[in-house]
Amino acid sequence: MNYKNHLGGLALIFLLFACDESGNERPLGAYDTGVLILNEGAFGANDGEVYHLDPATGTMKENVFEAENNRPFAGLLEDIVLEEDRLYLVANTGKVEIVNPGDFKSFGAVIGELDQPRSLATARGKLFISDYGPYDASYNTPNSYVAVVSDLDGGIVKKKIEVSSKPEDLYSVGKYVFVAGSEEGKIEIIDAETETIAKTIEVSGKPVQFFEARGDLWVYSYDAEMIYFQSFHLDNLTKQNSQELPLANATSRIALDEEDRIYIITSSGWPDYSDGITIYSLFDSTFIPDWKTGSGFYGIGYDLERQEIYVSNSKGFQGNGEVIIYNKSGAEVKKMEVGRGPSGFVFR
Amino acid sequence: MTLLFWVVSVFGFVPVQDTVSLEQVEVYAPPLDRFAQGQKVVNLDSKILEAYSARSLGDLLQEQSPIFVRQYGAGMLASPSFRGTSAGHTAIFWNGLPINSPSLGQSDLSILPVEAIDQAQLHFGSSGALFGNEAIGGSLHLNSKPGFGKGIEGKISQTFGSFGLFNTAVSGGFSSSKFSSKTRIYRQFVQNNFMYQNIALPGTPEVRQDHAETEQIGFVQDLAWNLSAKSQLKAAFWWNKADREIQPVMGSNTNDQQSDESFRAVLDYFRFGKSSVWNLKTGWVQDELIFNERLNQTRQFFAASDWDFAKGENWQFKAGVRTTFVQGDLDTYSATDQRFEFYQSARWTASKDLAISLNHRQFAYLDNFVPFLPSVGGDWRFWEADQQELLLKASLGKGFKVPTLNDRFWSPGGNPDLLPEESVSGEIGLNWLKTGVFSWDQSLTYYRMKVDNWIIWLPQGSVWSPENIREVQNQGIEYQGKADWKTGRMNWELGLSYTFSEALDLTSEPANPRQLPYTPKHQANGNLTAEYEGFAVNLGSFFVGQRSVGTGNARILDSYQIWNAGLKFLDLKWGKTRFPLSFQVLNILDRDYQVLYLRAMPGRSYQFNLTIHL
Repeated sequence: MNYKNHLGGLALIFLLFACDESGNERPLGAYDTGVLILNEGAFGANDGEVYHLDPATGTMKENVFEAENNRPFAGLLEDIVLEEDRLYLVANTGKVEIVNPGDFKSFGAVIGELDQPRSLATARGKLFISDYGPYDASYNTPNSYVAVVSDLDGGIVKKKIEVSSKPEDLYSVGKYVFVAGSEEGKIEIIDAETETIAKTIEVSGKPVQFFEARGDLWVYSYDAEMIYFQSFHLDNLTKQNSQELPLANATSRIALDEEDRIYIITSSGWPDYSDGITIYSLFDSTFIPDWKTGSGFYGIGYDLERQEIYVSNSKGFQGNGEVIIYNKSGAEVKKMEVGRGPSGFVFR
Repeated sequence: MTLLFWVVSVFGFVPVQDTVSLEQVEVYAPPLDRFAQGQKVVNLDSKILEAYSARSLGDLLQEQSPIFVRQYGAGMLASPSFRGTSAGHTAIFWNGLPINSPSLGQSDLSILPVEAIDQAQLHFGSSGALFGNEAIGGSLHLNSKPGFGKGIEGKISQTFGSFGLFNTAVSGGFSSSKFSSKTRIYRQFVQNNFMYQNIALPGTPEVRQDHAETEQIGFVQDLAWNLSAKSQLKAAFWWNKADREIQPVMGSNTNDQQSDESFRAVLDYFRFGKSSVWNLKTGWVQDELIFNERLNQTRQFFAASDWDFAKGENWQFKAGVRTTFVQGDLDTYSATDQRFEFYQSARWTASKDLAISLNHRQFAYLDNFVPFLPSVGGDWRFWEADQQELLLKASLGKGFKVPTLNDRFWSPGGNPDLLPEESVSGEIGLNWLKTGVFSWDQSLTYYRMKVDNWIIWLPQGSVWSPENIREVQNQGIEYQGKADWKTGRMNWELGLSYTFSEALDLTSEPANPRQLPYTPKHQANGNLTAEYEGFAVNLGSFFVGQRSVGTGNARILDSYQIWNAGLKFLDLKWGKTRFPLSFQVLNILDRDYQVLYLRAMPGRSYQFNLTIHL
């Protein structure tokens, strides 16, 4: 899941503290603390859901969306984004549900007009939603876009900004929204005010995930043999530093710890099918290939507060998946059953 | 004796002596249960088929048989599940040709219109020996049944109904004692713009389904010739084309389109000896599936021959061979497959009350060999009284399924190293038959089955690939009862069925095995018909129990019970023209239900049918 959600979460916490000081206090809801587990659901069944874990007590609450809204989420849950005191649940089956982060009560949605939304960012009071667009007859997505909705609480799509094929993660800084154009290796930067692409930057590999480390904005990309990291100058929107490293079979799933070490899931695929977690640091010589090996690794997250690594296993999407929590030395702390296709975490 | 037995099997208890030329009056079809002693067979008679002629085979099986039909929405993919097995574990035959798609390994019951067939039979349990590939949970046998010496016959049938339903069927035939021809043309259209509660939307509003329109057109030609008193030629051709908007899962906005076009042709030659029948069969099945402009095409050619003969008074044998050539030109790959089968059957009629059969098949495909597929079974009438009898049936058999072309060759992910899926099943059943004014036919069957090497597609990194991974233990009880009686001038008919089906997945958590997804433990149906001088009222209901959407602790879908009712005027006539009228209300209680998760199903609907028999 999106590392930026940790940042978003942190930002929100800071914001809340800030609010506390100004006396504008909101009582802490049931889901304002703990870990949200994103269960993607199975293709065709569209049974994506959110589970909530209280790491202190180990209490797990299942199907949070349905429990709080008396209707199923009914979609494949691709991403969860916490911004502007709203929790955006992005379903790649064509909708975005907006809930209150504290109690998970629905208060808006973007329904219709979306095809295969992947992620979301807010900027200048608007929603920007990356969307693959429809498949053509050859299962390509030549009509990918970023949809713009003028209201943070959802509503109708006002505009579709054409972008390169298969946009994934979004990241907003000021009036700019960075788009990870995964298929063509492009970072497209949208001006949130004019709702047009201000600039396009080519990067190596398949860019899939933005993150912030030591004050800089980075994007993580990969291909079959290599992984790449690229940072940007935010003032003139140009490339800053880049690093690359041979690592076979990297996936899009990464997590960052408090030392800015990056945990990357690798997956060899058929026929050997072995998965692993490799640790890499942008800032020192850390490179630990196959820190963990196994099979079925599907998502990864890092709990900054408890310094624990969460690794999810999809169990082949046949039924419920599993999450294993490791401490930093790699010892298993806990194993638990979660929903179908667990793919990421939001640490609150 | 032998021929007598056939005559009895084919026509019921008609006394016929010696080598009377059967073919004079009837087109020959080898009876399904000739060597199926001890195995459960259900016949769906022409009256039931007629009642469902404007509906799908999926509806028919769900409402009238112990099978669970997984329906992906109204008029969408409907796949049969026999005894807790999967859609691919059901062999489907049309006039003796296996018609499951070799790439998908299954058939969609929604695009096998009841209108196109005259006879349907269900066979339960693993029977690789009798039927070959894919007969693991059971098999479904659809047949044309042309006749001789009936002169000119014609029929026009029109059905109107809710949600834009508009079905038309025209058939015409001619038969003399030598030659028989029947032609059928049909079109079935439904807009499926039903209202449903969209639980995926905020506020769960009632919305109208706007992407589930289906249209099917088809043409069936049956021909038969009595070449001589001892030989008969039979041919059938079936073309069916279905264009469907694929109903989106609630909460998604897909606009998928699917078009399925099938050509099926079969030619049979029968040579009748004094106590034998020799059959030469060739066939061709071509399926074209276009999903959003992506074309998948498969072709199958069959050549088979068998010889069915009697030895002495008590022994009956059959031996045969079948070769199949498969050509698949799929979206992502092309592949061929060749299959050779050799099969033998023997039946020993120990006495008039006891018959035992032994069957066996060897099967080879490409470089693989399934060496030994036996089955054994017996029927024992152990009690007989005035108008009543009790029959004990027991059987044991193996089944198998060759990995489909997609399983082996799909790019990416196809796994050429897959082994065939295998099963062993056994059953024991009691049949209680009573004739007379109040007559019934009741059966209670217990079965047990083990399916191994069950193929499941699993994600292997970014690619999904099939593996022989699942192991399943099934057991269950099936009760079926039929009764008819009279009160005054009123004829009553009652049908009841209950199925308990346990299908435990031994793979995920062997210590705590759970029921397979989408496999209800409890299922039941009932139908009551009252007929009074050509006027009939019927009330039917079916119940499907809870089922999970995934393995383990997955979401459980609610059980549902649906009620249907109908009125029929059977004897309306104008001169010699009969024109029965019928009116049906489906889902009378307007029950909101889902067979599969988030697939909306229609509420109450009405159908009106007028048929004119010329």
